[in-house]
Amino acid sequence: MATANPIPEATTSSAKAGSGLLVLISAMPAEQRESVLANLAAAYPQQEMLVASPDPQPEEMRPWLRFIPAPASKVNWTLTAADFVSAFQLAEKNQARAILMLGPESGALSVGELRSLARAVLSDQIDLALPCYALPPYAGLFNSALLYPLTRALFASRVRFPLAPDLGMSLRMAQSMAIVAQKFTAANQGETPVWPVNEATVAGFAIEQFPVSPQPQSHSNRPDLNTILPFVTGPLFSDIEVKAAYWQRFRPLPPPFHAPTSPDLHGADAAMEIAPMLQAFRLAHTNLQEIWSLVLPPNSLLGLKRLSTVTDAATFRISDNLWARIVYDFLLAYRLRTLNRGHLLGALIPLYLAWVASHINITASGIDPERHIEEQAAAFEAEKPYMVSRWRWPDRFNP
Amino acid sequence: MQIVSLTMLQSVVDLNTPPPYADNTTLWHHITGSLHQSLLNVLSLLLAILPGLLALVVALAIFTLIGMAFSALLRWGLTAVKFDERLARGRTSLDWAPTTSPTELTARVSFWACVLLGLLIGVSAFDASYATATMQTGALLPYLTRIVGGALLLIAGTLVARFLARSVLIGAVNAQLEYARFLSLGVKWLVLVLTAATVLDHLQIGGVVVELAFGILFGGIVLTLALAVGLGSRDLVSRSLESHTEHPGEPNPIHHTSIPEESIRHF
Repeated sequence: MATANPIPEATTSSAKAGSGLLVLISAMPAEQRESVLANLAAAYPQQEMLVASPDPQPEEMRPWLRFIPAPASKVNWTLTAADFVSAFQLAEKNQARAILMLGPESGALSVGELRSLARAVLSDQIDLALPCYALPPYAGLFNSALLYPLTRALFASRVRFPLAPDLGMSLRMAQSMAIVAQKFTAANQGETPVWPVNEATVAGFAIEQFPVSPQPQSHSNRPDLNTILPFVTGPLFSDIEVKAAYWQRFRPLPPPFHAPTSPDLHGADAAMEIAPMLQAFRLAHTNLQEIWSLVLPPNSLLGLKRLSTVTDAATFRISDNLWARIVYDFLLAYRLRTLNRGHLLGALIPLYLAWVASHINITASGIDPERHIEEQAAAFEAEKPYMVSRWRWPDRFNP
Repeated sequence: MQIVSLTMLQSVVDLNTPPPYADNTTLWHHITGSLHQSLLNVLSLLLAILPGLLALVVALAIFTLIGMAFSALLRWGLTAVKFDERLARGRTSLDWAPTTSPTELTARVSFWACVLLGLLIGVSAFDASYATATMQTGALLPYLTRIVGGALLLIAGTLVARFLARSVLIGAVNAQLEYARFLSLGVKWLVLVLTAATVLDHLQIGGVVVELAFGILFGGIVLTLALAVGLGSRDLVSRSLESHTEHPGEPNPIHHTSIPEESIRHF
């Protein structure tokens, strides 16, 4: 029986693109896509380029841009396993040398930024090129609280946005990602996020990040925090578990990368919003003791108890070390399956909200948000021996 | 063997001391005769089921030994072919994946499967010998099966109750419902009551009484939960309605129950 090929045969003849670059654009509104295409055309004028998109071909034709259909992704706000598999398949069929994957908000990337990302992966020296977004102080908080510190502490990488929706990959990096992603797609888990920074670090590939302009603040088609946090954290914890042999060894960090910042437009509003977060934390402290006590050691529980009694919202601070240990303990409980993983990650949400409230308070007191994020990441590094120790001997007494 | 035992018993009875009261010899003879008969019945029954009991023990012992040997063989074989490593290579984030290594798990499962098989064979042999001895239809095994089924139902029900209680608790806390714990407890007891009723019904204990009691309890819990949630959310609902009817343009005053995302962006 003949099986349907998701990639049309016609695309194979369109090989040998001038630049050897395959640009994979995720589904996005027509105006956004037009902006991306205009920037791409400006970045590589008159050069033949393959553009793969799940959206229909635009009416305005640019003869040097060859359009090929790409499978639509179920999750469009981040790159998933299915995206990486299809990216590599398309690149291989069209003999592309490098891949540029652009997310739904990539219309904000300037010509120079697109060129930097593409040039890096086409140069054969960089395998993974990632943007470092200039976000407002209170944006990308989950990345600052968990993804960045964990990636930095465990994989010795300073990539500020490990789950960036836009990235550039060399062909060998794409192949490596496709191999990993294939396991998920084969298990019908194609919408699972995969972790290019972790893969590149373990494989010894060269990673580079480039500062990019502020991203637009849209909230369209994004599930809420209760859905996103387990969706992202679960695969990250699984990936860390799989790569335990790598990160348990000490590795030096690359030199610091100064992340660009954008002006604080909502500082006062954010300070107003910590009250519901603290309320969520206190409610959770009253009700989730039984679950937290399965995961956290007595010392951390005591720290949380003290935090729950803080009455003045403005003085609420969760110490960097406590947050680092909480995340590590949840990671350990995830590995040990102390309780159902869905429950475990659900129980992390109020603690994350407490961290957000604390971060807002700290930055409201005049400390630069980026400095606090770096201090937080440094605390994760400092607590890594605790994590390694508990990972190796989980039954040993813990403080 | 049975004949020899009966003869020995007969001789034991013959050596008994004479009755203390000579006048009541007839009565004494009746009593001793009855006791003698009862003792004979019990001993003959014991002797009849002894082979079955022995078969149960032997079957269990043999299959346990087989299980031990089989599991050791499996453990050795799977370690030799690096089963764990091969499986880990194709591993994805499965939520149901077990804690122990696949090799260890396979070995344990095979061992306990053998033990269970031995138990089943032993119980069958025991039940057959018991039924023959009592000249009745084999009623022990079906009831044993029911008891095992009931125990499994109880375990499953308890696990489901705990899982659902935690799911509801975490979901309610993340939805910032003040009565999260109460809701979770209600769900837990609903499932536990349902489980208890199912187990009793499975064991055929109680009959209609259990059904009635279950109906009353289940209905009571649901009513209590409904009242509690309804009364607990009264202010919330009224404020929500007021905000929509009186001040449609103003922001929702119950914003403290949901986290606004105007200036804070988590991702």
